[in-house]
Amino acid sequence: MNKLIDLLLQKPLPDPLLHDLLFVAFVLHMLFVLFTLGTAMLAFYLFLETWRSGKLQESRWDKEVLRTFTVHKSLAVVLGVAPLLLIQLSLTVPFFTGVTLFAPYWILVIILLIISFLSFDSLAHRINIRPYLHLFLGIIALVALLAVPAIFVLVLVTAESPDQWTNIVKNGYRLNGALTFHWLFRYLHILGAALVAGGTFHYFFTTKGDPEKKTKMLHWIVAGILEQFVLGVLVFATLPKKPDYDIVIVMIVGIASAAFLLWSVFKAISKNISLKAKLIYPLVVLIVVPMLLTRQLIQDKSLLPLKKELESNAAVYEKSLKSYSQPALDNYKNDLNTVYDNGKTIFEKSCSFCHGPHADGKGVEASNLTVPPEAIASVRATRGYLYKILIEGVPGTAMPYFGFYEKGKINRLIDFLDSRLDILGKLPPIPAAISPADQEKANQIFSENCATCHGKDGRGTPEAKKFEPPTPDFTVYNLLPERAFEIISNGYPGTMMVSFSNLPEGVRWGLVKIVNDMKR
Amino acid sequence: MEFPIFQVPYLGNGMTIALNAVLHLIIVQGITIGVISMIALAEYIGFKKSSEHWENFAKRLLNPTLIIVTGLGSVTGVGIWFITSALSPKGIGLMLRIFFWPWFVEWLVFAVEVIVILLYYFTWEKWSGLKKKQHIYLGFGYSLLAIISAVLITGILGFMLTSDGWPWNRSFWSAFFNPSFTPQLFLRLGIAFGLGSVFTSAYLLFTRQDPMFRKEALRLFGKVALVFLLIGLLSTWWYFSVVPSRFKTHAVFSVLTSHFSQHPEFFWFLNIFGVLILALFSFTALTRSVSISRLLVIPAILFYCCFITEYERVREFIRGPFLLPGYLYSNQVQLDESLFWKENGALKNSYWYSQAGNSADTTAQGVYLFAQNCSSCHTIGGLNDIKDRLRGRTEDGIYVILGNTHQMVPFMPPFSGTEAERRVLSTFLYRLTSGEIKLKAPSRFMFQKGKS
Repeated sequence: MNKLIDLLLQKPLPDPLLHDLLFVAFVLHMLFVLFTLGTAMLAFYLFLETWRSGKLQESRWDKEVLRTFTVHKSLAVVLGVAPLLLIQLSLTVPFFTGVTLFAPYWILVIILLIISFLSFDSLAHRINIRPYLHLFLGIIALVALLAVPAIFVLVLVTAESPDQWTNIVKNGYRLNGALTFHWLFRYLHILGAALVAGGTFHYFFTTKGDPEKKTKMLHWIVAGILEQFVLGVLVFATLPKKPDYDIVIVMIVGIASAAFLLWSVFKAISKNISLKAKLIYPLVVLIVVPMLLTRQLIQDKSLLPLKKELESNAAVYEKSLKSYSQPALDNYKNDLNTVYDNGKTIFEKSCSFCHGPHADGKGVEASNLTVPPEAIASVRATRGYLYKILIEGVPGTAMPYFGFYEKGKINRLIDFLDSRLDILGKLPPIPAAISPADQEKANQIFSENCATCHGKDGRGTPEAKKFEPPTPDFTVYNLLPERAFEIISNGYPGTMMVSFSNLPEGVRWGLVKIVNDMKR
Repeated sequence: MEFPIFQVPYLGNGMTIALNAVLHLIIVQGITIGVISMIALAEYIGFKKSSEHWENFAKRLLNPTLIIVTGLGSVTGVGIWFITSALSPKGIGLMLRIFFWPWFVEWLVFAVEVIVILLYYFTWEKWSGLKKKQHIYLGFGYSLLAIISAVLITGILGFMLTSDGWPWNRSFWSAFFNPSFTPQLFLRLGIAFGLGSVFTSAYLLFTRQDPMFRKEALRLFGKVALVFLLIGLLSTWWYFSVVPSRFKTHAVFSVLTSHFSQHPEFFWFLNIFGVLILALFSFTALTRSVSISRLLVIPAILFYCCFITEYERVREFIRGPFLLPGYLYSNQVQLDESLFWKENGALKNSYWYSQAGNSADTTAQGVYLFAQNCSSCHTIGGLNDIKDRLRGRTEDGIYVILGNTHQMVPFMPPFSGTEAERRVLSTFLYRLTSGEIKLKAPSRFMFQKGKS
């Protein structure tokens, strides 16, 4: 089928509402993101300037600026939760695809934010630290912080370009060609916006009427707007698809407002007058909203058709799953009622598919195995030996280790096997009469042939212990005479144990007796 | 699969989510709820008794608390979300659809929390005299909001283990107010105030304080520690009495892991020892013995952190093999989808596999099937290494085990794919375990060309 699908559970809100809520939440988030970035850059710049002019001991404007960072970043984080929640609902597949394609960077965001927040906050709240330490912490904090929007833009650029997803995978999980430039310009464009936002905020809140500081903020704003004009052109030029006229009109509103802000700031600088909050606040909204709306409209153009497709694919897929949903629920109910805390359940669930429900080695999977599962019903062994096999498994066979059950459960399993099969019990006598001559012959064959692997004492030679599977230790592990006879006669498939059917029956019984007499 | 697969190298996905989540829970329970409540309490006592000591203690403790709560607490909280978006996108995406409203309300509460804590911090000097009362309300108001957050998140976390009727009726309310909701809430609050009082005691014991005030405050925090230790213990017992036996029986193993599973006595010894340390600290604090409390307070904090880690580990582990009970396995395959793939094939229903371009190559198929079925828990060469798990098994043995994972190991999901795909994966795993195949980029499951 090879079609990408949406998640199958219903969305809690209708799509248009999710879409609009997402836009509003995103605008609020971005506003504080810009204040956070702007404040951080400004504070660092002011620190350098204060240091250069040797005024680090005086009242520190850079610290005052940085103290607002705690507020901005806290609000940016909390206001970021809503768009994160909403975008994961309304653009589930594009967003998660962007995230998973760049997963390591996305996870890194958390570490970067922690480093940056803790460093900036301690710089803001400690009264005085050595300038070199301040410089060092400041650089780390700033670099970490500025990397974050780069990653966000990366994920969003990817989410908005579904036709590039496969290329990104083929390119080794990297952006390719034109999209790389688009990403870079968009990122730098945001930093420009942060300069403007930071400058505007601190113009009104931390300059405290100092004309020199105010002028500095005005220059800062001018620099930001000019940076944005240049990068805006580049962002526009590298857009993957040329936008329609309606989008261009919204964008022009934003650009015109920005131009007006620039003009107001120029006027304020040249005539040495103050900016009026009543004018500037609405103007900032008039810049931010159309600009983000432009972004939103471009995103909608590329993603809304895909969304429709994903949803209709999901409907088809859901239909094909329909007949499986009841059986799945029935299985689930069975699972809930199966408690792996007793030997019986553990045997039935974890052992019987190979060893068989009757412990005769004839489980449903037995025919798939070259080394047949042992008929546990025929085993007579010590608890210690069984325990060891259960914990370590048997190399060279399918028998895995069962260390995922703790000690008590393993013992309960052994107890269950003992109560059912007498696995810890005594061996019965040999069911056939063995003539002394046959026994003599058997003794000779054992020491000449069998002992080369099994060892004279039946514990297995050191070499044979390294076989896969290794020889068993006959002093602690034996089989009922009939089963032992069968193995001696036919061999054990998939192991070093070959058939001795050429020996007379009496001699074979004699071998069984030798082996079983070794049991302690 | 709907999304490209990524695995964190060495640590694996579960451990990465856990490291961040445990740090978050230690901070939000111990500090955001616990310490800030103690600060509000101290400020209140200072006001009642007109005591400079209590007032200054509260005010000075708020400074580092604010930095940790807004810098580390909230970021690691969002971090859980970030990390699961990358490592378990389908799981978190589905959870958001089931629990949109609690999450949305939680967002509103979180926003108010941030505003209140900032106000609380920045108005400490300004709101004095007549406005002091309002400032104290702000502190307690913050604690209340933090508790509401805990309520909202507890409903969601409880659902993952005790879904009650949700798989059948898909009812939000039965999912949210599931059987383990109330005991878990009490357990979390017990831990929150318990750890909060121990953290606060540590600050009290290791900073410069008036000796008389220190003894007086120590007695109070010791009292709080003891009461909430008891609440914590009782609700632990209550909590495990409502967890279905199917899951509960894996609790001890979840803590011991296969490294220590044959020494269950470690589990009981360490847990009892930890509780004794906490109880002992509470008593010495109650009796105002400063020097012994100093000795015990750090072990008490460490044991509280261990208990938080242990509880989250148990809760997250024993729900295996399910991520969303009755709907999604821990490897992000739906229960019904698993049955569908068994008949119709996993690879041909996978968009990202079809985009990979080398769909005829069996090694590519094997590695993708591994990524899809196993990689949410097993790494190649890191924690819970699949090569360690399969070492010594024959190829046909791996094939048989793969077909029975779900019943053989009660917390493993079934293999989701056809018989042919099961064969492909077992061959891949056998060759991987024997060193024949080497991966060059384990996090994206790419193998070395020419070795296939």
